[in-house]
Amino acid sequence: MAPKPKILIVDDEERFRNTMRKLLSIEDYEASVAGSGSEALDELHKNNYDLVILDVRMPEVSGVQVLSEIKKLDPTIEVIIMTGYASVDTAKEIMKLGAYDYLLKPYAISELLEKIDAAYERKLGRRQLTEP
Amino acid sequence: MEKFRVLIVDDEIDFVETIVKRLKDRGLDAVGATGGKEALELMEHKDFDVAVLDVKMPGMDGIETLREMKKRKPLMEVIMLTGHGSVESGIQGLQLGAYNYVMKPVPLNDLLKQMTQAYERKLIEEGRER
Amino acid sequence: MAKRLNSRFFPYIPSVLVLASAVLTGVFSEPWQAVVLLVIAGIAYINAKGTVKTIDKAEEACRTLNEQLCRAEKLSTVDELSAGIAHEINNPLGIIAQETQWIKHVFKSKSLQKLKEIEDCADSLNQICMQVDRCKEIVHKLLSLARELEPVIQCLDLNELVSQMTNIVKKEMEERNIKILMNLETNLPLVYSDPPLLRQVVLNLLINAAHAIERDGEICVSTMAVSPQSVKVIVMDTGCGIPKEHVDKVFTPFFSTKKQGKGTGLGLAICRGIIERLGGNISVVSEFGKSTAFTIHLPINRIPQGDILHGS
Repeated sequence: MAPKPKILIVDDEERFRNTMRKLLSIEDYEASVAGSGSEALDELHKNNYDLVILDVRMPEVSGVQVLSEIKKLDPTIEVIIMTGYASVDTAKEIMKLGAYDYLLKPYAISELLEKIDAAYERKLGRRQLTEP
Repeated sequence: MEKFRVLIVDDEIDFVETIVKRLKDRGLDAVGATGGKEALELMEHKDFDVAVLDVKMPGMDGIETLREMKKRKPLMEVIMLTGHGSVESGIQGLQLGAYNYVMKPVPLNDLLKQMTQAYERKLIEEGRER
Repeated sequence: MAKRLNSRFFPYIPSVLVLASAVLTGVFSEPWQAVVLLVIAGIAYINAKGTVKTIDKAEEACRTLNEQLCRAEKLSTVDELSAGIAHEINNPLGIIAQETQWIKHVFKSKSLQKLKEIEDCADSLNQICMQVDRCKEIVHKLLSLARELEPVIQCLDLNELVSQMTNIVKKEMEERNIKILMNLETNLPLVYSDPPLLRQVVLNLLINAAHAIERDGEICVSTMAVSPQSVKVIVMDTGCGIPKEHVDKVFTPFFSTKKQGKGTGLGLAICRGIIERLGGNISVVSEFGKSTAFTIHLPINRIPQGDILHGS
């Protein structure tokens, strides 16, 4: 079986993050959840993750802030941004900050899986480039 | 004319080959792809200024490809090409940020004019970003 | 009210003052002095009247400016509001979509598949998914209304742009026996505006015209220069027209006379948003049951030479 990434889901809606974790587990993806930006950053300091799925609009620390923090912490962690809306401008901003892709809510599960696989592939590709 | 980078996407190989050759003759840096997936892959490795995109393609269609292109490279301008103007895809394409929606067959000079204007727009937007 | 009275009587005040002071100081010893004074009083009156006119004009200008500001303010409130609504609605929709995915997964379990009713439930579930998609689409259209569009100004040939858009709809119109007449002014000046945004508006108006006609009719597209500063585009159709009581509302978001599920009532609102951002305006005249004409006024916005990136 192909290797699967370790995923962290960050969303302030408890029901949303938990169901997403359940849906990913059906497809054999291992995921943890965090309910806020600061919780997510704590978790990322403690454990290694390949991929973060991050809601953009959260109280206190916004997704965009968390994104730049993640990229400071470890630029090889790929981030998929989730958002209820994406104008060309917000999309531009998000991609400029180094997100791999973004996912519009409500999303289809196939779409999510495709993006996860593509992001992980890029991360693996990067590792091969940097490691001798 | 300034040399800019163009990506031609159409499922008809003959069309792509001919137009790429003729654009190269006019001094443009032109590359062809025969499907949406292939186009997106090419975009991973190279920046393009303008894409010319067929609306009706098997597999990933033009509208879907446009959506992905704009997501990855919002500043790249896209001209949609269509064989039989579909009103629905026309308005959809423009709403998704296509520069224009052009009916086939289009004389090369007209297409070239459209591409130059689209390129001009990209330069203006890039200037704004800085 | 008090202000109106003021402006009516104000012009007399200086003249009355001149005459009164003359009477009080008793300068009317000679007839010619009275004549001179009357002339002075007359001049004072004319001057004062002029001042009032100027003030009225300034007030009028102030009022229009205020109205414009109000509209601009309203626009930005609508923008913010719709971005907010989109967020607040898409998040719960996201949860609904996920939960239905989960139920679909649960339904696959062997023990449940034996149940006859499960097929019914699956059918309902599919319906829920479809409706979620529908909401999603509406929200995204709403967003394109709110999207902050910063126009990119390029030199463009309006006649060419209009013809291109007409070409797109031509075939579908022919099938419905709708004739398209073009009445383009040959010496139309080039316009500095945002081409893709204008294409969207023109195509939208053409589609609207076709909707109004359904079958058998005419659409007439014209362009003309209005002044050295502006041009206009008119899209006229011989369709169903708009009832008088609805004419004011056609540009309002979510106002639609189309059947439920058809059209979101955002097309014309988006058009107005775009045209106003381009510094123009859009209006409609309609005769119910007969015809409708949408008119776009656009500024030419001549840019001083040298500012254009690539003169064509």
